[in-house]
Amino acid sequence: MTKEIIKIQDLHKVYDQHSEKPYEALKGVSFQVDEGEFVGIMGASGSGKSTLLNILATLDRPTSGNVQIDGNDVTQFTSNEMANFRSNKLGFIFQSFNLLETLNVFENIVLPLSLQNTNHRIAQQKVRQIANKLGLENLLTNYPTQLSGGQKQRVAAARALVSDPSIIFGDEPTGALDSTNARDLLDMLQQINSQGVSILLVTHDPFSASFCKRILFIKDGKIGDELKATGKTRNEFYQEILEKLGTFEQ
Amino acid sequence: MLFKISISGIKARWRDYIVLFSGMIMASAIFYMFEAIALNKKFVTSTTVGQSAKVVFSLGSILLIIITLVYILYANNFLMSMRKHDYGLFMMLGAKSSKIGTLINLETLTVGLFSTLIGVVAGIGLTKVISNMLVTALDIPVKYFQAVYNPAIWSTLILFMILFIVAGLMNARSFTKTAALKLLNSESKTDWKQPRTKRLIGQAALGVIFLAMGYYSLDHIQQLKGLSILIGLVTIVCGTYFIFNSFFVILLERLQQSVLNKRGINSFTIAQLKFRIHDYTKILSIVSLLFSLALGAITVGIGLQNGLPETANAKSAYVIATTNPSSKMAELIAKTHGKNENNYQQKVTKKAVYYRLSEFSRQPIEYPTFVSNGNPQGNLQIKKSRLGQLGNSHSQPYQQLRTLQNVNLKTHQIKFVSDQVFSKVSGEINHLKLIRVKDLNGQSASLKAIFDLQKRELGSKVVQSMGESLILYEFVKNIFSSMEFMGVFLGIAFLAMLASCLMFKILSGIDRDKTRFEMLNKIGTSQRSLKRSIMLQIMGLFGLPAALGLINVGFGLQMFVKASLLHHAYQAFAYSSIGFLALYLVYYVITVLIYQKVVVPKAQNER
Repeated sequence: MTKEIIKIQDLHKVYDQHSEKPYEALKGVSFQVDEGEFVGIMGASGSGKSTLLNILATLDRPTSGNVQIDGNDVTQFTSNEMANFRSNKLGFIFQSFNLLETLNVFENIVLPLSLQNTNHRIAQQKVRQIANKLGLENLLTNYPTQLSGGQKQRVAAARALVSDPSIIFGDEPTGALDSTNARDLLDMLQQINSQGVSILLVTHDPFSASFCKRILFIKDGKIGDELKATGKTRNEFYQEILEKLGTFEQ
Repeated sequence: MLFKISISGIKARWRDYIVLFSGMIMASAIFYMFEAIALNKKFVTSTTVGQSAKVVFSLGSILLIIITLVYILYANNFLMSMRKHDYGLFMMLGAKSSKIGTLINLETLTVGLFSTLIGVVAGIGLTKVISNMLVTALDIPVKYFQAVYNPAIWSTLILFMILFIVAGLMNARSFTKTAALKLLNSESKTDWKQPRTKRLIGQAALGVIFLAMGYYSLDHIQQLKGLSILIGLVTIVCGTYFIFNSFFVILLERLQQSVLNKRGINSFTIAQLKFRIHDYTKILSIVSLLFSLALGAITVGIGLQNGLPETANAKSAYVIATTNPSSKMAELIAKTHGKNENNYQQKVTKKAVYYRLSEFSRQPIEYPTFVSNGNPQGNLQIKKSRLGQLGNSHSQPYQQLRTLQNVNLKTHQIKFVSDQVFSKVSGEINHLKLIRVKDLNGQSASLKAIFDLQKRELGSKVVQSMGESLILYEFVKNIFSSMEFMGVFLGIAFLAMLASCLMFKILSGIDRDKTRFEMLNKIGTSQRSLKRSIMLQIMGLFGLPAALGLINVGFGLQMFVKASLLHHAYQAFAYSSIGFLALYLVYYVITVLIYQKVVVPKAQNER
């Protein structure tokens, strides 16, 4: 039996609950992601996908509902437990890279381990391993300003992977990349996924989504539809996503 | 690694940190300068200025500590606003609250320690320069004054470290209580909410009423006594807050509805200012109140010194009274400019002193008296005596003459006689010389020399009991000098800090504004309009607290005038305001230039 990495049940999020105009961003979302899955969440602006990602990333708390990640009910965590959980179990890749310009590549990648007071020798070993895996071994002493967009995002991915997370969250990670670099990154994510790392990708780009194994469509705070790539080529899946978007967005 | 992250954070925003550093350096330098004077035992105990200044200095220290704390909190706020994004990222990557707290404390303390150390060095230099300047400019006899003074160094270091620890803890607390996501996206968020009109109008009215109550109570200090200051303090603080929170917002809303709003990018400028004022209520109120305090301190300091001649003249119309002046004394008197001399011959018998009535007819003796011109305390006037008054031993001219004679003649009866009678009286013949000087402050150097000679010739004890006004003038001058020194010093220190507080607050919003100005640039707004808009916005933020501050001081001075503590108060107010505003203007210009440099996008063809 496959293990569930994420299990969400009847998730609600209401902003400005006690004001005159409360806004319900999530209206009873339920789904699950199994270990080793590569799931995409697609939706237009304002559909609730960022709210969903923030709650999954333990950066925001739901108004009601249940969120389990790797068997832990994250809604019950204290802030310290959340911090520990984020650094041990979750990895993040942002659209805007979010690298620290003043630290070099090595220091940027090692940051999550430093914040957790990991032994320096072990941390160094881990950084080297991950850098080799992502082809960053020659760039370790470079600073972010000396890197291309694609290289920056690979550093961000290395930082996300360095603490061996249970799942990686990608928030429009190809948004700031050109098509070649975007393709490279997606190939790399697919490769990481094939080694057993679960990935949840939030995107509105059909091309990025076509690299996922399963796609959940979110609209007006609800999961509307689901597509699976099983048995399809990436191109076929891409066409199917486009078709789905054509009908779903209307 | 953590330390490296902290330091690298500072390195990355070096230019912003320089502004912050210079502000902190200045704060610690000012504090050092102050303590170098206030703590210096030799100086405080062995000079009259020092002794009289002791109480004033301790009061000044307390005020300075309070303003320094406010200043450091604001400066730190600015520091933290630059680090929000990075700390947000650390939290996202799993840094615990305690770790973030350590990082913030480390960074605050590093910045604090460095700036305080440099500040103390700068303070030593400044103490040397400024004390020399003040001593010469204000004619303060400051002895035993050391620029390098160990207790001052320690007290500055200890106090600033305590303040930085407090600031660090407060920062850490506020950061760890804020969600990571909020910090990460802090640059794109504002807390602005459109206030309700009814509430605005209510608060504006309340602000005006409070201020009016405050001014009224200060004006009626004679009736309300100590209560006047208490009422004034509370109502003016509340009134100032409400004025900023609402009155100015309403004014700007009216402006938005006017034709002026439709010209150029005025709509943007006014809207920005409205948003800012509402957002900056607290800092603008503090700036305005500090402005009043600082300007008030300078005005009262200078005003006291200006009123010195009146204070002295209240004792006697004559600054010098000398019987049979020595040749040295005559020489010194001759050197004194702008004087009126009265010379009388005396014949002293066992029980009486005889004067020629004819001499008093030619040179009537003058005396101080208080005339009530609507002022219950009375206004000082110098009057000439009539001959009839001299016969009455209870009259003011008679009494004054008695005190101006030699001290050993106090119990003698004074008789005014005709020339014939005078020539027949047998007794010791003396020559009494009474001197009035028009500009006492202008002649203070030669007066001081005469005073010193008198002490040498007659002994300090005798001089103490003399009736001339010189003794009071010299005594009060020492006290007033220290008050003036204190007023000017504290005033400038407060000004420097309040203006930097405002500067930091404005500059800390610079990142948010950058995108707004970029957008305006993209839709074709000229560089000139953008720069003008910045100038006007910052002018509003600097100008409004200053305007309210000036009004506060204007009314506040009534308290001193009514209590007859200040003469020529508004003349001193005018002078000090000009100097004060000139310094304030420097801060305004610096802020505008930094803002324009950062915010206005460079033109494409600019090289």
